[in-house]
Amino acid sequence: MKFFFPDSHDYVDPSFNFETEKNNEHRVIQRDDKYAHELFSKPVYDGILVSKAIVDGVKGVQGRYSVAQRQRFFREGIYRFFRLPKHYLTMGDCGAFSYAKEYEPIYTVDEVNEFYSNSGFTYGISLDHIIFDFETPKKKVTGKQLEECLRRQEITLEKAEEFLIKNKDMSFAPYGVAHGWSPESYADSVIKLQKIGYDRIALGGMIPLKSSEILNVLKCINNIRNTKTQFHLLGVNRLEHIAEFSNYGVTSFDSTSPLMRGLKDDKKNYHTATEDYTAIGVPQVDANNNMRKLVASGSINQNEAFKLEKACLESLIGFEKGVVAKKEVLSALTEYEKLYNSKASRVDLMDKVLTDQPWKKCPCDVCKDIGIHVILKRAAARNRRRGFHNLYVAYEKLQSELNKMNQVK
Amino acid sequence: MNTIIVPALKIEQGPGRALFSFAIKGKEIQSIASISRVKRHEDELVGYQRPEVSNHINEIKRYLESENPMIPNALVIAFNSSVKFVPSDHNKSFGELVIPIIEGDDSKPGLIVDGQQRAAAMREADIDSFQMPVSAFITDDSQEQREQFILVNSTKPLPKGLIYELLPYTETKLASSLQKRRFPARILDELNHRKDSPFYQLIQTATNPSGLVKDNSILKLIEASLNEGALYNYRDAATGTGDIEAMIIVLCNFWGAVSDVFPEAWAKKPKESRLMHGAGMTALGQLMDEIFARYHIDQQKEGVSREQFKQDLEQMKPYCHWTNGTWNFGEDDKVKWNDLQNITKDIQKLTNHLLRKYRMEVWK
Repeated sequence: MKFFFPDSHDYVDPSFNFETEKNNEHRVIQRDDKYAHELFSKPVYDGILVSKAIVDGVKGVQGRYSVAQRQRFFREGIYRFFRLPKHYLTMGDCGAFSYAKEYEPIYTVDEVNEFYSNSGFTYGISLDHIIFDFETPKKKVTGKQLEECLRRQEITLEKAEEFLIKNKDMSFAPYGVAHGWSPESYADSVIKLQKIGYDRIALGGMIPLKSSEILNVLKCINNIRNTKTQFHLLGVNRLEHIAEFSNYGVTSFDSTSPLMRGLKDDKKNYHTATEDYTAIGVPQVDANNNMRKLVASGSINQNEAFKLEKACLESLIGFEKGVVAKKEVLSALTEYEKLYNSKASRVDLMDKVLTDQPWKKCPCDVCKDIGIHVILKRAAARNRRRGFHNLYVAYEKLQSELNKMNQVK
Repeated sequence: MNTIIVPALKIEQGPGRALFSFAIKGKEIQSIASISRVKRHEDELVGYQRPEVSNHINEIKRYLESENPMIPNALVIAFNSSVKFVPSDHNKSFGELVIPIIEGDDSKPGLIVDGQQRAAAMREADIDSFQMPVSAFITDDSQEQREQFILVNSTKPLPKGLIYELLPYTETKLASSLQKRRFPARILDELNHRKDSPFYQLIQTATNPSGLVKDNSILKLIEASLNEGALYNYRDAATGTGDIEAMIIVLCNFWGAVSDVFPEAWAKKPKESRLMHGAGMTALGQLMDEIFARYHIDQQKEGVSREQFKQDLEQMKPYCHWTNGTWNFGEDDKVKWNDLQNITKDIQKLTNHLLRKYRMEVWK
């Protein structure tokens, strides 16, 4: 079972100084930065997935890449651009979510082929159009809704056929995409894709589904799948079901969820093998949007805020060195929290994480390198590293699940 | 009560309008003056200063802590009438200012009208004896302070082009946004003033208004290539500069080749030639990086000759329409040569078109 990480410019500046909070002033973005596969001494994914929409932008809206970066990406190919060792796998897709609202996909099969070929991907996923609806026992998909689902399924299958025909001259291995709105309709897509000639099929549009719904789809598909057909789950990260997924022919999946939860999740943003923790908020007075608004409107005193922010950082660093007591840290944190968070205090959660100090027990390179900073919710340098740490934890979990499966066999 | 007594010069600018000029240790400013932040107090406007800007403060702090800093422009402080000027016996314009010191958070005798970021930087910086010039006036009227605040802060910033032209002739530590541009600006300066450069006197700058290509277009393409393209190979990551001679050679070889291959479009007004236009420059800059990459393999360190560039550019001729005709960007996307604008969308289209054709027809 292979895990792919979908990248959207997720790298960190290795020269960031956590005491002075500064970057190296001559740093060139991306070139001098480090991806997760460069930061860790062992892999945290088996490959990366890159979307055309992320690199190219969508309809006049610039993508994540600058013009010059994008051109270098095409010139150097994905392996050199990402400084990715050859044993990693790479998968390209179209980024169907970004154009899901359009009537039709915004790319042509030729454009997509060119993207995959120029970039030098291992695998390329055919051009698809997302179906949003999913049937439940209470809510059947009918009428106009059903027509739209059928139309999108049809488009996806047509494009898949064209994609496979043109793949003869291409350097990457093709995946067809199956979309559906019920287990049976997913199965229909898979039947047709197998008939067209695919033995690699990506299952799309499953991100919003419950795990039980995903399993129902897989069960249904399992009845009709050819034994050699391999499935990729797009955007799905349910590690607890890995064994079942595997039994139904799933050989790979991708997800940004561990990273994203490190950045955005309100509660569970530092993961460990056994427990998830809440990161300690120390927002930057001058960079955090919420803080900036409070300061600019005069509703909080900037000097006061600076003072409290500094006190939090100093006491946290002192705590890590063993010279400041937990009680003092918590009082600094609550003092500051009063300024920016009028809702329920998170002091109990912060107390918990400071008591357990999970980063001290974590063997990953990020935790070893930056210590307590990994648990601070504060700007990309820390938040993204915490996301990387979560990737590490997720990948370790996956490996141990896979080991268990092998032992059973 | 504690006081600070400083030698001061009284400058009378009009009847009842007196300014006091003096110097004070940077670290002492916080004990005589505070900031009046703008806010609403029961619907009434109080204060006038915006919040501190940490980035800006850090820049000044970095500068203050550098080897030999100098800040010639004075802080402007409005004192209340607790501050007194005591003239000397011989000359009424010389004397001493007696300023009461207030420790802690109580209201200080002075409010900073101009220079709050500098004052904050001095508070934070690791400096000892740095003396700061101050211009002060005495008033108890908050309206007068607010007026002065608006007056000193509504000056027009220098045109960017003039700053860029001056940049290469500076050495001191500058704000990092400017510092980053200093090296590209130096390359531009060389391109514009070397007689053997294809851009000789062609780049429009403050002192060369008749130039045809906008300075900003050239800066942008130099920066892009320094970060992502050919020039990166000669860059020194530690200092942000690099082997400027080698870079100039690459640029001169490529743009020389461009002028050879497209003589009808070279050195024309942007109105008459899209090549000399922002969009053309940016897109060709990308093509330079691309062609360079084809010839310049990591192991071999020599550059790419004008002839090599020329050879590849010749093959691009059929796909270019700098001065007439229509660009063929795709089946439903044809753009008349002079409809191409210097906007992100058009630049992207043109760049994609040139590089796709190059990869498919020339590099293969």
